[in-house]
Amino acid sequence: MNNPQDNRNRYRRIWDWFWRPTTQFSVGFTLISGFLIGILFWGGFHWTIEASNTEDFCVSCHSMETNLGEYRQTVHYYNHSGVRAVCSDCHVPKEWQHKIKAKAIAVKDVFYELIGSIDTTEKYEARRIDMAKIVWKKMRANDSRECRNCHAFEYMDFTIQEPRASSEHQRGIDEGLTCIDCHQGVAHKLPSNWLEEYEKLKNPVSASNFGSLWMMALANKPAHESDVVGSLEK
Amino acid sequence: MLEILGTFAGNALSLPGILGLGFGMMTRQLYLAGVIGGLVGILESLIFSGFHLAEIGTLELTLSVLVGIVAGMIGCMIRRKGATV
Ligand code: HEC
Ligand code: HEC
Ligand code: HEC
Repeated sequence: MNNPQDNRNRYRRIWDWFWRPTTQFSVGFTLISGFLIGILFWGGFHWTIEASNTEDFCVSCHSMETNLGEYRQTVHYYNHSGVRAVCSDCHVPKEWQHKIKAKAIAVKDVFYELIGSIDTTEKYEARRIDMAKIVWKKMRANDSRECRNCHAFEYMDFTIQEPRASSEHQRGIDEGLTCIDCHQGVAHKLPSNWLEEYEKLKNPVSASNFGSLWMMALANKPAHESDVVGSLEK
Repeated sequence: MLEILGTFAGNALSLPGILGLGFGMMTRQLYLAGVIGGLVGILESLIFSGFHLAEIGTLELTLSVLVGIVAGMIGCMIRRKGATV
């Protein structure tokens, strides 16, 4: 009874029904019902995306426990004011098109979680530098956009920052550096070869657009900068 | 590769995909639908770069125009298949 021929006919009938002009429903009825279904769909879609931005969701994967533990030791998790940044604040863009892009790319994380590519500490540490580099590259290319959702040079009162912070920030502005150029490892431990690898990233040849080419050209002053980075490592 | 797939998905669910499809459904002329979709793609790149031409990546622009064109054409085919006018 369930032979392929029958199935094909069934799909054919559904297809034809779908494209048939309505005789029972007015234009208004079709439009209003389409509109309602649209709202439900969009609301549900948005809700799902937001649900996948919660800290609970991010660390529900076993592989992320290492990061969670490290992040819990930092000021972005626990501090005097109680204001904090969760995983998605630093890792998922707020703007719609960037957010969807990040979410689509993150589908691969589910796959790697399932096959367990970083499910032990050894495997994690072996991959850490490569994963960190992906994040650095992104942040360099977008001028640390996610940090700037909460922090900005424009609103920093340099008079109350420690002298070293304010003078380095002034230098950062003058030389077109971005937050991640100096603040690597704000939320996680850094692998031992991080500085060397970070310097390699600054090679402007790998820049994919004019904006970051320009930024990297400005940032490419390793001699002076390397005494700042590294000092931030706790 | 991931970058490309991600950008593709981002565009399909953003202006080029949605407006492109919508505009495409307003015409029966396939090439016109494609052109309008492509324009939406360019427009999106402009808007989201804050009108700083230098910040538009070649890959982003190419993909959003491509998605716009395809969405416009699909919209047009929906019009042809699903409407008598
Ligand atoms: C959701 C908002 C938010 C985001 C996103 C965010 N931060 Fe923060 N950050 C804070 C808050 C709030 C504090 C201060 C916490 C306190 O001390 O009360 C802070 C503190 C800091 C400090 C001071 C650390 C210290 O030891 O005093 C640094 C450095 C910093 N952030 C860098 C960054 C960088 C780099 C990024 C991007 C990778 C970033 N932040 C992203 C909210 C954010
Ligand atoms: C040129 C390097 C450099 C750049 C670029 C830079 N910082 Fe800093 N930042 C520093 C240094 C050095 C300190 C002092 C850290 C310390 O003493 O532990 C600091 C301190 C801070 C603090 C703590 C301030 C305080 O008073 O305790 C925050 C918050 C911060 N940076 C955020 C940012 C953000 C956000 C960006 C990007 C918009 C950024 N920084 C870019 C070098 C830099
Ligand atoms: C304050 C911003 C911030 C927060 C909050 C944050 N991260 Fe990160 N994350 C970074 C930065 C910056 C890097 C790039 C590597 C580095 O500099 O440490 C990174 C790197 C990573 C990496 C790559 C591997 C590695 O260890 O470097 C993973 C995985 C990751 N984060 C997961 C998480 C998870 C899960 C959470 C929430 C529990 C989280 N992050 C919270 C800023 C953040």
